[in-house]
Amino acid sequence: MRPLTLGRLFLRCGILAIILFFVVVIALKLGAVQVSLYGLGRDLIRVLLHQSSGISTDYGMIVVDIRLPRILLAIVVGASLSVAGTSFQALLRNPLADPYVLGISSGAAVGSILALMIESQFSLSPEFSGLITPFGAFIGAAVTIAAVYFLGRREGQIDSSTLLLGGIITASFLSAVIMFLMSTLAAGNLRGASYWMMGSLSSLPPTSLLYFLGIGFLVAAGAIYTTASDLNLLLAGEKEAMHLGVDVPRVRMVVYLAASILTGLAVSVSGAIGYVGLLVPHAMRMIFGSDHRMLLPASALGGAIALVIADTLARTVVAPSELPVGAVTALVGAPFFIYLLRRRLS
Amino acid sequence: MSSPLRTPQSSSANLSPDQPRGNPDVRLSVEQASYVYAPNPSQAPLFTLEALSFQAKAGEIVAILGPNASGKSTLLKLISGALEPLSGHVFLNGFATHALAPKIRAQRIALVQQESRLLFPSHVSEFVLQGRHAHGRGLRFESEDDITIAKNALAQVGALHLIDRWMDKISGGEKQRVILARALAQQPILLLLDEPTLHLDIGAQVDLLDSLRRLAAENRYTVLVVTHELNLTGEYADQVVLLQKGKCLRVGSPASVFQRDLLEHVFQAPLSVEMTSSGRPRVTLFSNK
Amino acid sequence: MPGLTSHFVARVLVVCASLLLFCSAGMAAQTNTSGSPVPSPIHEVTDGYGRTVRVPVHPSRIVSLAPSLTETLYALGVEDRLVGDTDYCDYPPDAQKKPKVGGVVNPNLEQIAALHPDLILLSKEGNLLETVRALDSLGIPTYATDARTIDQIISSTQKLADVLNVPEAGKTLAADLQQRLEALQVKLGGVPPRRVLFIVWPEPLMSVGKGTYIADAIRRAGAVSIVDSNQDWPQVSLEEVARLQPEFLVFATSHGGSGEHDFEALANRAGWQILDAVRNHRFAVVSDAIVRPAPRIVSVIEDLAHQLHPDVFPEKLGGEKDTAPANAPVPSPLPAKPMASRFLASPCPLESPCAR
Repeated sequence: MRPLTLGRLFLRCGILAIILFFVVVIALKLGAVQVSLYGLGRDLIRVLLHQSSGISTDYGMIVVDIRLPRILLAIVVGASLSVAGTSFQALLRNPLADPYVLGISSGAAVGSILALMIESQFSLSPEFSGLITPFGAFIGAAVTIAAVYFLGRREGQIDSSTLLLGGIITASFLSAVIMFLMSTLAAGNLRGASYWMMGSLSSLPPTSLLYFLGIGFLVAAGAIYTTASDLNLLLAGEKEAMHLGVDVPRVRMVVYLAASILTGLAVSVSGAIGYVGLLVPHAMRMIFGSDHRMLLPASALGGAIALVIADTLARTVVAPSELPVGAVTALVGAPFFIYLLRRRLS
Repeated sequence: MSSPLRTPQSSSANLSPDQPRGNPDVRLSVEQASYVYAPNPSQAPLFTLEALSFQAKAGEIVAILGPNASGKSTLLKLISGALEPLSGHVFLNGFATHALAPKIRAQRIALVQQESRLLFPSHVSEFVLQGRHAHGRGLRFESEDDITIAKNALAQVGALHLIDRWMDKISGGEKQRVILARALAQQPILLLLDEPTLHLDIGAQVDLLDSLRRLAAENRYTVLVVTHELNLTGEYADQVVLLQKGKCLRVGSPASVFQRDLLEHVFQAPLSVEMTSSGRPRVTLFSNK
Repeated sequence: MPGLTSHFVARVLVVCASLLLFCSAGMAAQTNTSGSPVPSPIHEVTDGYGRTVRVPVHPSRIVSLAPSLTETLYALGVEDRLVGDTDYCDYPPDAQKKPKVGGVVNPNLEQIAALHPDLILLSKEGNLLETVRALDSLGIPTYATDARTIDQIISSTQKLADVLNVPEAGKTLAADLQQRLEALQVKLGGVPPRRVLFIVWPEPLMSVGKGTYIADAIRRAGAVSIVDSNQDWPQVSLEEVARLQPEFLVFATSHGGSGEHDFEALANRAGWQILDAVRNHRFAVVSDAIVRPAPRIVSVIEDLAHQLHPDVFPEKLGGEKDTAPANAPVPSPLPAKPMASRFLASPCPLESPCAR
């Protein structure tokens, strides 16, 4: 018998965290411009000791101003998408669920397009406009979350299959709206929108936004984690879960809202990066089993690792050009998905 | 809270507005409980369970007997607290079952359903430990006590040897026992079973009912079994609630309920009833010529 | 009970670890290491976005993120101060030898930073606002141009020359361009403008909107685009074009040549025979410089004017400029090339949706 204990949880998460650390170091080293490990280590220590003025600008700007924020963004976005994916798979009782199945990414895209339109009308300064697109995207995501919630209810409570249907319909409708907007409006700045929709981590968000994302992730993922035991039981069946002591309506509501917020935050900043939210939960399940007390933190760390790796590939494989990171996750993710499918069928 | 024996005094959080009342020997009290299924209030109801009453004590096995669509599952849902009675009450040790919080309810009532549809493969030990969920805080890791209780539960159904197996790799009968073990791990005072013998071989059916009788005696459970099996009911039940088309036709011991005219009317089949030496009725069915 | 304490400990540890992680992240993200002291003097200018930017008085390490600006730099004679440009900067041919920093919409920030530029040039139409913002946050001075009409191209070129500290070269270049345009106007004065369809892409059929500099260039060449749309790259239907019956079809190509093959491909498409211009072989082909808001566009205007008004300009254009011979209604003896390669030759303007 091998129940999960706190000690075992920390040990496994510790191993994943160490792997993440090494991946981050490698990611900091690789890039279009060569950086030595020694210089890297020295400068990172200087940063932590708050002596950043001592860093030579060669490494300083590239590593600390360009690569490090990008890697931190990849960590937060990867963790958010994976935790959201795990949660939706449990909530909808569907192993094919990913964070975008309920239309949140389409809503965010519509929000960002509208924000771009407004911004081009009013010609805002670039500093402000850096925040308006994520803000618009998040508003779009929030509206979609509310709309799908109301569509997905039955007898006043969230119902899994109704929620899934409502989300799919909303996603299709919003995709049509996006096509309409992009074909009828002046194409000028909307070019940015299509790059956004492919998913990209290169936008160098301001520090305040990174903080906001990080805190948002901790709060939302923490809320989901408090229901981890309940989710284990929910997967056995809703009626059974109720009879085993789970407050099913409350758990569904908490998980739906928190997972949607995680997705909305991630998508607002980086666009719709695919496959991470779908496949990292499955990979972690194959390694650690489907106990959500282990699976949720493992997905968070695994998602961070996966996205940092994907982003590093995206910016080094065809340097100095860049692939959109969504393309890398798709190219790697699709074969892995096929492999998973075959395993299930065998 | 973790002792296998439960007395009313050890129950925590009082969530029902009513005070415990009535005869202290009576554990489950169904008082004029009724229910109606209607798609919306303006339309005619699809199914009505008319008001019925009965009581059950600790250590007793009660059979809810009747043909299909007689309201057995509805009655079970009312007793389990999943539904709120349209009129009347269902009291467990004086507390209305529907008014209890899900977690408290799960500490007292365990429901054994038939097939468990698992989305992802599950370990038997994990599965049985799910029964302990109701006994801790929201996010918790299982303690030594929990593990011991789970092992005991498996031992009590004779499935301890399955503890390291996967749920999707064991046979139907073994799965049924594991599901029962999970219910026992909840350490309930009321054990509800919904057609538990449906997919079992005859030998397994007898095994199950023997186990239930033993468990009810040893652990002082009140056991309710929903079934349409006449002879098993006759042999094992202490009390029978006979339902037909939403109406309760009779409540009493098997000997008093198993009257030939009554049973023929309810089950629409020719039969004969005879009493065995142990005082239990036995039913023989004839063909319909 | 063990369950309780481990729950509590878990919470505390998670909070501590995350606080630690985000403190270091915050510290890291806040460092702005671009404080390499710029010894050269700085002044403030207003750029195409209307922002006031602080740029060196004499920028000596310039990176250009738009092909049109690269061309302009060469035209102003400051190409030795250009240290990097985009993959698409191909004119003049020397520009292809400069270090590359990636695409126009997705330049590689690391490459740019590694070149230690003291000024980055962008265009409002070609580059993304996001790129401007990212460069700002790195502390590298940026300057964006904005040109929606031919006049604005000339004035922004002159402004750019001021920023680059070659005001004389800018004045000379601007004066020369203005003079050539005025001469053209004189010759074309009184001649009714030709009604033309400028084809950006044949399928879906896309043309240019009236607010673009391409439409303005067409006007200066003694023609008018039959497409009257507010969008920059409107999609038009063949029916609508047939109703308006333009006198000429105009399209751009990046290689020299008669453009006869490109025209053949167009003429062979289903339904295009309905246009008089197709049946009568009336087309004009110009260099792809028409889609770049750079000084070279004036040469294209002259070329187009010559092709559309052969009676006004009997002499052919010669010299070093990119030209295409005037069209003649002579069927091509060469076999038609496969349709697909046809408009591969005619480049898609980077700003238009077909470049996605």
